[in-house]
Amino acid sequence: MSFEYIKFGKEEKDFIEKIEEISGQNVYSCYQCGKCSAGCAFSSYMDKTVNQLIHLIQVGQKERVLAANTHWVCASCLTCSVRCPREIDVAALMEAVREYQLREEPEKVKISNIPKEVLDKLPNIALVSNFRKKTE
Amino acid sequence: MVRYSYFPGCNLKTNAKGFEETAIAVSKKLSAELVEIPNWNCCGTVHTLSTDNMMRRIAPVRVLSRSRKHIDTLDEETPNEVVTLCSMCNSTLKIVNDEVKHDHDKLEKVNYQLEEDDEIYKEDMEVKHFLEILRDKIGFENIAKNVVNPLKGLKISPYYGCMLLHPDKAAIDDVEMPSVLEYLVESLGAEVVDSPFFKLCCGSYQIVDEDRIVDSQVTKIVEAARKRGANALVVACPLCAYNIDHQQKILKEKVPGKLPLPVFYFTQLMALALGVPLKLNHFEDHHINPKPLLKELGLSGGKK
Repeated sequence: MSFEYIKFGKEEKDFIEKIEEISGQNVYSCYQCGKCSAGCAFSSYMDKTVNQLIHLIQVGQKERVLAANTHWVCASCLTCSVRCPREIDVAALMEAVREYQLREEPEKVKISNIPKEVLDKLPNIALVSNFRKKTE
Repeated sequence: MVRYSYFPGCNLKTNAKGFEETAIAVSKKLSAELVEIPNWNCCGTVHTLSTDNMMRRIAPVRVLSRSRKHIDTLDEETPNEVVTLCSMCNSTLKIVNDEVKHDHDKLEKVNYQLEEDDEIYKEDMEVKHFLEILRDKIGFENIAKNVVNPLKGLKISPYYGCMLLHPDKAAIDDVEMPSVLEYLVESLGAEVVDSPFFKLCCGSYQIVDEDRIVDSQVTKIVEAARKRGANALVVACPLCAYNIDHQQKILKEKVPGKLPLPVFYFTQLMALALGVPLKLNHFEDHHINPKPLLKELGLSGGKK
């Protein structure tokens, strides 16, 4: 067992509150069973699994949450949300972290950097949904 | 003949023309015609999961309100239902419809915006996916009776993707064990091949900037179906179709040797079985050409 001391002050509490406000979810409902991560189709691409990210949100570790790629790898397929035994809309928490970040830096995907031939080739359903999730 | 108010969504006019044209042709054959809403707009594809972004709820509610107006111009027996073909539209419209019906504050805010265009949503619509109409209103027995060209030899693995089944309030069938595509495929005379990855997300919009994720999902989905003996996949979502179809072509170039599986929309299979002209399928838009398989099985010649 390893442990570390973390800061848990106003900044941390504000972060938790904001995530709860955007997502409409109570992050403390999560009891860390890990079912979301087990069923997630993309866990192998995430540097923190979904339940690890939720744990970091629970303890207000904003920098670590925002540094993870978990919420950007999430494709909003909602498998976690329909399976959560605590009925948390887990995907909404991922969306809340994305939104939190996008409201500061509105372009995770820079549309002007995507080559024209890629834009021409992709169906509009892919472009619209990607820009809706990755730009503000 | 029952006429339904039909919402195409953004992709049915571009990449998925074959999906729309076969659906309309099939719907006429089954006396449940899909009539397009004249002034529809994009529903926004993905629904926002945030609670505080009202702007992203306006487009889907506008679709519901315009569909309601459209229904007034159709027949008396036309139900207050908007029918979608795309599973993303299905999910987005159902979620927002449910939200505004349960939260009048939200509805009021959206209606305030719609009023500028002389529109209002009165919570009097239901959203249906065309598969629900086929199952609940037309019935698989009825579909089977209309088959003139049974799809003998096609071994189809149904791929639901996420948005036909997620979230619970948008699900058209049992969330973990759906059967609607299986029954449909069987009623057309084809064989069903079960695959464990029938709803493993294909990677969806990650195709734009993280296509490596989509590649690995597509490999899993296609390999699982192939191992179990499938020679084609059936889908209901234009994005799943694009991802699986197009990425297989890319993967084939990277890892040669394995034959890709063609991807059909469920309405294309119906069109083949019900004897609808082949050109409506727009197979030229597919990246994995299904024609050689159909030719081999003697299914491309229309009526036998």
